Amino acid sequence: MASLPRRIIKETQRLLQEPVPGISAVPDENNARYFHVIVTGPEGSPFEGGLFKLELFLPEDYPMSAPKVRFITKIYHPNIDRLGRICLDILKDKWSPALQIRTVLLSIQALLSAPNPDDPLANDVAELWRVNEAEAIRNAKEWTRKYAMED
Amino acid sequence: MEQFEQLLTCAICLDRYRNPKLLPCQHSFCMEPCMDGLVDYVRRQVKCPECRAEHRIPYQGVQGYPTNVTLQRFLELHIEITGELPDPTAGQIMERCGVCSEKAYCGMCGHCDKKICQDCKGAHMDILRREIARINNQVRRALHRLQDMLAMVDKNLILLQQNCGSVAEEVDEIDRRLAKALKDRTEHLRQELDRYLSTEVRNLTQLKENLELEISNITSNCDLADKHMTESVEWDDNELMDAKEIFLKTVEFIRNFETETGDYQRRVRFTMAHDPNQLVNHVAGFGDLNINHPHTTAPGLTGSASMGLLQTPGPGLMRSKSDHRLATQFRQQEERDEDPRGGRLSPLAGRKFGERPAPKPAATDRYEGRYGRGGESGYGGDYGDYDAEGGSRAGQVRSKYRSRFRRDAQDAAEPEPDTGRNVRFQEQQNRERERVLDTEDVSKGPLSGITRLYDVPRVMKRLQESELKEKNKGKEPPTPPQPAPQQQQPKKTVTQRQVSEEDEIAKIKRQNKSGASSSDVAAAVPEAREPAAPVRPAPDRVASLKKAEEERRRGSSHEGSSDNDSDDGSSVSSMQGQRKGSLRARLGGASPPLTVPPPAKPRSGSTDSASTSSSESSSPASSTARNTGAAFSTEEVKQKYLSRGSATPSTPPAAAPAASRTQQDTTPPRFQSRFLGGNRPQPDKAKDEEEDDDTESSSEEETDSDEEEDKTKKKEEVNRMDIGPLLARSANARDSATATRRDSRDDTGTRQSSTASYRSPLSSRDDSGGYRSQRASRDESTDAPSSAGSRYGSAASTTSTPSSYTSRFLNKSKSSANVDEDESSRAKTAAVPDESTRYPSGRSRYAALKERRSRLARSRSSHNMGGADDMDDAEDLSATTSPSAYLASRGYGSSQSGSELARSRSTHALKSRDNSPERGGERDGTALSSWARTRARSVHALKSREASPERDTADRADRAERDALSQANISAYRSRARQAALKSRETSPERGAEKDANSPALSSWARYLKNKYGPRKEGKDGAASSASSAAGSAASSAASRRLSLGLPLSRHNSASIDSSDDDQKNPVGSPTSPTAATAAAAAGFAAGATSPRSQYLQKRRQLFQIGSRGSEPGAFTWPRGIAVGPDNTFVIADSSNHRVQVFDSNGIFVKEFGSYGNGEGEFDCLAGVAVNRIGQFIIADRYNHRIQVMDPSGRFLRAFGSQGTADGRFNYPWGITTDALGFIYVCDKENHRVQVFQSDGTFVGKFGSSGRGPGQLEHPHYIAVSSTNRVIVSDSNNHRIQIFDVNGRVITSFGSEGSEEGQFKFPRGVAVDDQGYIFVGDSGNNRIQIFHPDGAFLRAFGCWGAGPAEFKGLEGVAVLSDGKILVCDRENHRVQVF
Repeated sequence: MASLPRRIIKETQRLLQEPVPGISAVPDENNARYFHVIVTGPEGSPFEGGLFKLELFLPEDYPMSAPKVRFITKIYHPNIDRLGRICLDILKDKWSPALQIRTVLLSIQALLSAPNPDDPLANDVAELWRVNEAEAIRNAKEWTRKYAMED
Repeated sequence: MEQFEQLLTCAICLDRYRNPKLLPCQHSFCMEPCMDGLVDYVRRQVKCPECRAEHRIPYQGVQGYPTNVTLQRFLELHIEITGELPDPTAGQIMERCGVCSEKAYCGMCGHCDKKICQDCKGAHMDILRREIARINNQVRRALHRLQDMLAMVDKNLILLQQNCGSVAEEVDEIDRRLAKALKDRTEHLRQELDRYLSTEVRNLTQLKENLELEISNITSNCDLADKHMTESVEWDDNELMDAKEIFLKTVEFIRNFETETGDYQRRVRFTMAHDPNQLVNHVAGFGDLNINHPHTTAPGLTGSASMGLLQTPGPGLMRSKSDHRLATQFRQQEERDEDPRGGRLSPLAGRKFGERPAPKPAATDRYEGRYGRGGESGYGGDYGDYDAEGGSRAGQVRSKYRSRFRRDAQDAAEPEPDTGRNVRFQEQQNRERERVLDTEDVSKGPLSGITRLYDVPRVMKRLQESELKEKNKGKEPPTPPQPAPQQQQPKKTVTQRQVSEEDEIAKIKRQNKSGASSSDVAAAVPEAREPAAPVRPAPDRVASLKKAEEERRRGSSHEGSSDNDSDDGSSVSSMQGQRKGSLRARLGGASPPLTVPPPAKPRSGSTDSASTSSSESSSPASSTARNTGAAFSTEEVKQKYLSRGSATPSTPPAAAPAASRTQQDTTPPRFQSRFLGGNRPQPDKAKDEEEDDDTESSSEEETDSDEEEDKTKKKEEVNRMDIGPLLARSANARDSATATRRDSRDDTGTRQSSTASYRSPLSSRDDSGGYRSQRASRDESTDAPSSAGSRYGSAASTTSTPSSYTSRFLNKSKSSANVDEDESSRAKTAAVPDESTRYPSGRSRYAALKERRSRLARSRSSHNMGGADDMDDAEDLSATTSPSAYLASRGYGSSQSGSELARSRSTHALKSRDNSPERGGERDGTALSSWARTRARSVHALKSREASPERDTADRADRAERDALSQANISAYRSRARQAALKSRETSPERGAEKDANSPALSSWARYLKNKYGPRKEGKDGAASSASSAAGSAASSAASRRLSLGLPLSRHNSASIDSSDDDQKNPVGSPTSPTAATAAAAAGFAAGATSPRSQYLQKRRQLFQIGSRGSEPGAFTWPRGIAVGPDNTFVIADSSNHRVQVFDSNGIFVKEFGSYGNGEGEFDCLAGVAVNRIGQFIIADRYNHRIQVMDPSGRFLRAFGSQGTADGRFNYPWGITTDALGFIYVCDKENHRVQVFQSDGTFVGKFGSSGRGPGQLEHPHYIAVSSTNRVIVSDSNNHRIQIFDVNGRVITSFGSEGSEEGQFKFPRGVAVDDQGYIFVGDSGNNRIQIFHPDGAFLRAFGCWGAGPAEFKGLEGVAVLSDGKILVCDRENHRVQVF
């Protein structure tokens, strides 16, 4: 395997040395491009109190292309589908090499705080979110309790 | 400050800006690779990662964007402030990496010798490290080899001494044995000769006396007749008649009297079992000390202990694949040694250093802490060597840089090529230079030249530094294996060579070095070989270590090397020597024990006594069985007499049912069965009597024995004439049968002649009668005794049918079953000692039998006037010429049934004959009846069938076969014979014993015949017996080498005939007569002729090998063809040396001839060789497309052929052979055919064409012709062997592609022995396969490799007449002998 680009090393070091509050990203033992991420549900969101596991993979041409991120923990969110795929612009076309792992994770955290049902991935969830936000939020809380809380 | 740094950090690479370019949006990024990576080449625009603004790319590319000068200044400022190391890449231009073709700052890579980027370089370094680790592991793993070797050396030293001792002992022992054997044998022979001489003299004197007597008698008669047979004397008519008769007789007598006046000059001949020359040769070279020097072949550890020489690295190292790369790497590094300033200057990847040539001993620099390379600029000269190790791992990896290149360093003490090194040493380390050199001298392994890395100052320094770093900066994990090396990759992009610079560098380095070395840290040694003294100036330490090392190494390795050396050589050689010696011993020892006849065995004596005792009718005898038998025989006769005379069945006291043929020796059942027999046979008897009458009349006509003799003589002649072709007909099942048939024919001959000349018809009749009964009894006993049954396996089952018949028959004929039981039981009792001693007792039995015979002869004379009919039988036999077949079967049967049977038979005959004279007639009559009955069933049939007195052997064989079908008894024998033949073709080892058993059996059988036919014919019988024994054994080992045996056999026969003729001369028969000796010899011979099959089956071990690669005499370069020349010399086509080499049968070089060229006597990659019968060499001169013929001394005689496809032209002729008639067969390889020439080169014919069908050939390589004129061709690319007849018609083919047994991959060499066994050099499978003459697989051995019995690319194969197989092992450049 080709050696790790300096940027990734730097990022990793920085992530470990100066972790973002509410976010932990640890590289896999075997694959330095694969990170085990845990994001806490932002305060004031239906996901508060939940610990959401994600996986993050830095593709070969990172930072020129976006990292691949996916929720592992089930989450009730209009922009995250049942498989954990995330609909987030910076992970797609709005990716910029100036972005980093931490910024991506922060964006994801922000996404939890501010679901965007107008750009849905999970249509049913988005529909409910649009039609009956309260119930959706209830659901989200429910799911959070169910799946994102260990105990 | 943090933010300041952040401002100087590129958002993309998160590193300090390198050549920041300003986008129109005012964001700055490094030009390469960051900005490069942003380019959208399709739209030729750049999207700012920060603001996502899109900008058109200038015409020149991203370079066209303005450099952010402000930022650059800030960067410089920052460097100034922080004292950061300059960016080594500053001022560099990115290039395409030679490996990943990405743009990057490239540097030369020592690994791939290309300019490559850091990443790739890192990867390569990784590879190197991994390789080093791997090799290190290999070294580790292989290290035990050295240790083992050390142990082995010790052991070998002892072993060598032991071995030499034991070999010496062995040699002594062999010497003793040979001397003793020779002496014994000589004495024995001398004794024999003396004995023979005395008996012979006695005979001759006797004969002389007799003749004188006769002469005087006759003279007196004549005188009397002259004088008195006139009218002067009154004779009455009867008197005159008598006188006339007497005179007639005299005339007849004189006319016909013949004595063995033959060649007394050559009565005794001394034949040797082996060619005396050969024997002498064998003895002279009875063993070689085969001292092998492995160094010639395996350059493993050439143990020159002298320091200055290059040491070949150990095989273990040699084998490692990465070795070469390592070597190249090292060389490159050496070459680069002069310029690694670049590396030295930037040992870390610190591009932050501003200027390349400004190394600072920046011990405080943070980079140093982080990357562990801060202060190393001092020894950049060596940097190249060790940068691969990435600091932390240095310790374990260092093992072998020096080793392989020590020579470079030393040989090129000053000279040019070793620039880097020398320059370095001279210029940089003048002060230390000597010591460094010392170091290198001292710390090298004496065998391998491996430097001890710990002694290399640079290594120590490196280690120390890494230690230091660890201590000073605990900030970084000591060895983060992944990232650290990454960052430590030196940037060696600068490759200027400037001496001035170097000087400076050297200075710095020296300073550095001393400084560093003074700060001592214990080297963290992964391989704690030598605990380094922690506090000691490095040079000192180095020196001391070196010294110690040196001493130690020198000592040990000196020892080691020499030990190793001598040990390797001598151990192997001694082993070989031993093996060879023992082999020789075995070979040598094989014959003496066989030929030396075993001591006489008491058993036979007892039998004798028994037989004699039985002759005294029911006198107490040694064995009960015997006794009963004897008693019975008289009884029987009595009974018979009674039954015959009165025709009234006298009821025996205990009448038992017919099934009472129990194994008990009790009398009642015996009587009973006899009686049953006695009762029944009336009608048969009548027949018998009729026949008897017939024969009687005929016998009366032929009373004249002389006439008879003549006839039989003729017959004999005919028979003899038959022998030749019969012998020649080899190795088929019928062989054994014919052989025995021949024997029995001999028997017939002798029998007839003896009958005629010496025996009264009565007695012969008597004998045949006795014989008959015995034969029946033999049948019985074959059935009964478990020994016989088990021995003959299925034979017994076949006999079971006839045996029932026989038993019935026996019953009828009154040679009652019980007698048989007796016989069998006797046989059984006899069998116990007999079986075990059968083989060795051959001679003793022979002697004993002889004795008995003589006794018999005596006793016989007393009752020669037996039944008058006996002669008939003999005449019948002779008249109808059937007896040959009949006797064949009989003889064969006798040969099959064990010796005890034969003996019992003869004793039985004795018994019957031993009856009182008055009874003789009666007995004979009854015996005759049985005989006649047999004849009625068998011989009668024979007679009718064989009315035409042809004596053609084929007819006889047919007849015999027909007989076999019709005649139960005979068929039994036949089938037995056939089975035996089959068995013998298989020739399982047990068969050998059986075979051995047969010959005594036969001889005893012959003895029996002799008994019957009088002392005079003894010899002939004996001859027959010995012949038959020899032939029998030969037959039973149908696979035994026919031709080689054939001649000796016949010779042997004649010899034995001679001797036995002599033997017969002494009627008394000395116990150990020459005949006995010959018989024993015959037995020995028979035993000695072990079948080749078993011999081949054992083939596996290499006897010895000849040659190694080279062009000197005795060495080969791709040997190809091989042939066996006269005296078993090996003729080898040394293809790429363009010569023929000749070796003697011990593999000792004899001569060579030929050289490269296309003139006369010159060769171009010759392939095949052949030697014809007159010793001319016929050589397939491959690239000259011709055949050359050389005379036996190697001088050119003629050449024929040229390139082409026409007749008589060749395309790469390959294999070549010649047949018995001198025709030359050439494998015309590229023409896919075989061409045949006369020995003068005249084209005779060709066969084969390209293709896969039968008769087609695809690159035929080698060819062989069997003694039966079968042409065997290795049809190489069809992966098969094809066998043609001499006219090119396909007889058979076998083999297909594969590696199973009997399959081939590109078979090449073929050879065939005189038995027709086929040897194939299965080149693609690297093995030799042996096949039966019919193509059935027999054995395979060998595999790929260079060891004994391993092959690499087989070529020609040849086989010696003694069964040794010669194999050209092409890629190993040697010839192996198996």
